[in-house]
Amino acid sequence: MTVPGAASETRPVQSAPPPIEQSLVTFDNVSRFYGEVLGVNRVTLSIPPGITSLVGPNGSGKTTLMNLMTGLVRPTRGEIKVRGASTGDPERLFRIVGYSTQFDSFPKGLTGFEFVYSFLRLFGDSHADCEARAWKAIERVNLVEPARRKVAGYSKGMRQRIKLAQAIAHDPEVLVLDEPLNGLDPLVRAETIALFREFAAAGKHVIMSTHILHEVDMISDQVILLANGYVVAEGEISGVRSEISDHPIQVQVRCDRPSAMAARVFESDHVVEVKLHVDGGGLLIKTRDADRFYRMLNHIALEGIAIESVTPADDNVNSVYEYLIGGEEATR
Amino acid sequence: MAVYKRTYKGYEGGLTPGWSRFLILPRYSYARLFQSKVLLMFLAVCAIYPIGATLFLYIAHNLSFLEALNIPAWRFVDINEKFFVYFCNFQSTMAFLLTAIVGPSLVSPDVTNNAMPLYLCRPFSRTEYVLGRMAVLMNLLAWITWIPGLILFCLQWNMGGWAWAKNHLWIASALFIGLFTWSVILSLIALAVSAWVRWKIAAGGLILGIFFAGAGFGAAINAVMRTHNGSMIDIAQMMSTAWGQLFHYDSGNGISAAQAWSALAVVSALSLWLLSKKVRAFEVVK
Amino acid sequence: MESVIELSGLGVRFGSRDILKDLRVSLSGRSIGLLGPNGAGKSTLIQALLGFCPLSSGTASIFGNDIRRQQKTIRATVGYMPENDSFIANLTAVSFIRMMAELSGLPKDAALERAHEALFYVGLGEARYRTLGTYSLGMKQLAKLAQAIVHGPKLLILDEPTNGLDPPARIRMIKLIGEMRHSGNMRIVLCSHLLRDVEETCEEVLIMKQGRIVHYSNLEEERKANKRFVELETRGDAEGFADAMTALGCECASAGFGRFKMVCPEGFDLKEIYRHAAMKELQLRRLNYRRDTLEDIFLKAMES
Repeated sequence: MTVPGAASETRPVQSAPPPIEQSLVTFDNVSRFYGEVLGVNRVTLSIPPGITSLVGPNGSGKTTLMNLMTGLVRPTRGEIKVRGASTGDPERLFRIVGYSTQFDSFPKGLTGFEFVYSFLRLFGDSHADCEARAWKAIERVNLVEPARRKVAGYSKGMRQRIKLAQAIAHDPEVLVLDEPLNGLDPLVRAETIALFREFAAAGKHVIMSTHILHEVDMISDQVILLANGYVVAEGEISGVRSEISDHPIQVQVRCDRPSAMAARVFESDHVVEVKLHVDGGGLLIKTRDADRFYRMLNHIALEGIAIESVTPADDNVNSVYEYLIGGEEATR
Repeated sequence: MAVYKRTYKGYEGGLTPGWSRFLILPRYSYARLFQSKVLLMFLAVCAIYPIGATLFLYIAHNLSFLEALNIPAWRFVDINEKFFVYFCNFQSTMAFLLTAIVGPSLVSPDVTNNAMPLYLCRPFSRTEYVLGRMAVLMNLLAWITWIPGLILFCLQWNMGGWAWAKNHLWIASALFIGLFTWSVILSLIALAVSAWVRWKIAAGGLILGIFFAGAGFGAAINAVMRTHNGSMIDIAQMMSTAWGQLFHYDSGNGISAAQAWSALAVVSALSLWLLSKKVRAFEVVK
Repeated sequence: MESVIELSGLGVRFGSRDILKDLRVSLSGRSIGLLGPNGAGKSTLIQALLGFCPLSSGTASIFGNDIRRQQKTIRATVGYMPENDSFIANLTAVSFIRMMAELSGLPKDAALERAHEALFYVGLGEARYRTLGTYSLGMKQLAKLAQAIVHGPKLLILDEPTNGLDPPARIRMIKLIGEMRHSGNMRIVLCSHLLRDVEETCEEVLIMKQGRIVHYSNLEEERKANKRFVELETRGDAEGFADAMTALGCECASAGFGRFKMVCPEGFDLKEIYRHAAMKELQLRRLNYRRDTLEDIFLKAMES
């Protein structure tokens, strides 16, 4: 994992031998401008299989990045390879990539099934084959009964799912999904996330954008943070967090004698700040060295302070987002 | 020293009376409408005929002035219903054009931007909404139709004396009823079109089209079927037939006044029905 | 506690389909989360409360006012933030909010004062003279919130207020809702698909399924920690950890990535875990008793 700037020295050299490249989505110094408007700028990425979340404010380039890796938009500069296929080779690319956009645009008058089926026919396969695959995809998103009805009458959640069915119908190796969970109710959300996990477990790519940061923590293997068209950080979440050295790591501890604990932890130089909870039942500790802190905690627990719970307070995407991108004003 | 934390506060003050709230809509509409130069210029043009008519009245009552200019005075003698029918005909055409300018932007912004629930979740009913939007146009139309019409009547009353007024008082009510009905019809059609057609230019075109196409088809039906019933879809014809009854003349399109009034009622009802389909808090999804 | 919303056999039918069936409940919390899968009837319930759709049976009341007979009184005390984009593109934010305040019955001058106040309050102060058409998605949501609170309603109904917002905007919205709740002079009904939003802002939850109420409870009471279930996250050599815990009498299952779930015997001392960790130089990065999350409550309600 890397945080550009913060750890540019230690950035691993990406000497990818051919077989590994076959399983990566890579961006090599890619920029895309729309006239004078910046889409993304100088992006170099190498995304391994698994679930990858794209996170960033509106207008930070998430959709541009997705359009680039699905070949809908050509880069102004640089090169993108999706599992070895160049985005300049649409024939090959479209077979390995499935894309569900954020926008609800459907051809008029089609039923859910026809929507998925007609997309599959574009690949030139036989009618029977396409029909079977369309139904299979619709079954996977749990939309069999409504699929016979017109898309126009679908709820937001159903439209999201039929788009997902279309994206997975041709069995792509790389799924690119723009806000696929938006508008889904909790049940369907859980089902859809399970579906993503299945894909990831099969060694495929699931690359999705989202605004719901606490979900990113739970479902994704790696995260890409974007701001103003630049990649601000990428990699595993805890990895990204530990790279941000200018913010000490925060840990919430609930225990029976918080003041005694505070005095005890201040003996170590890596603890920089302690805040006692107002209810007197715990404390927030900020430390510059997580490893040493947790090792010390083991001994404190054995010295007689009864620890009831320990929770990292900022080892999540939310905090990483706040530290790297910041809570920007709503009036932008 | 005091520290004031800015937090959410409730509202404790008084409220305005409920009946007057529909007038809020025209106030905000005018603030926006009168920024348009086209509208201001058009309103100025609408004043030309009434000013001309006022001059005419003045001159007709001051024949000595004409004689001084050596103009033969016989053409100006009688001020009767004809004078007001001409006025109605001209100003109603202007009213029609004004409707095509102002009408399209009445309801469509609220429908396009999905603002209906925001109006209707307040103590403000659908009827009040329609009344408020109608008031925007009705008020403008009043200032170019029946208000100047009645002013002319009063001037004539003033100059022609009690005797004239006593014999011609019916003209005042005909003038008011005739032009007010025309304004209602125009407003309702404009509101209905504006509720259904989002694109302003198309809506303006459609308002014009409803009248012209109605006239065209009406005439075609009359010619082919050899009847007069084709005029029933010609709204302007209907109106002039109704005026014929009000002003005691025969409009000459072969339709009875009762038919004309009921056709106008049907047009209004249809417009209201179309409006009610769009002026609602949520779309019914089947 | 005073009841905010009282449903007494409320039913709504569109055509031959029953959307809401015989709803009976008395809601009294300061903030009430309205949850349920798509098509459960949440939006219909809100629309019925606002008097937008005809009732097929029963009735409901808001602060004791019947929704069939006292619609105007109710609408004067309620603020509503609809789910979809709703605004008037060519008005400035100030005149839009002011007009809405006037329509709620505020006199002109008071409406202007409160329009500015509401816009500052939601954080649109800088942008209040711009036309709404130029606003970003997040700003439009905030403007929608401003119009819902400008007349000082006693009940605020929010339908998916965080939908489509990016993280800072979402955090801001949640913070505002919390503040308004704490101000004490407003009750809030929040409808959302994001359980986390409801968890962060609501005291009570009402869960619906297929037009019926399947669960209504106080969240705080439901979330009592269960002292027998412990969740752990470790860093370092976790080899043999599960076995060691089993030896101590716990049931311990690995959830992968160094995560464990344990069921402890009665009277188990957590110190035992630390003893093992200290011995193995294992870092216990997270250790807590399991609480029923809203997700658990929700899933349980869906099964019933």
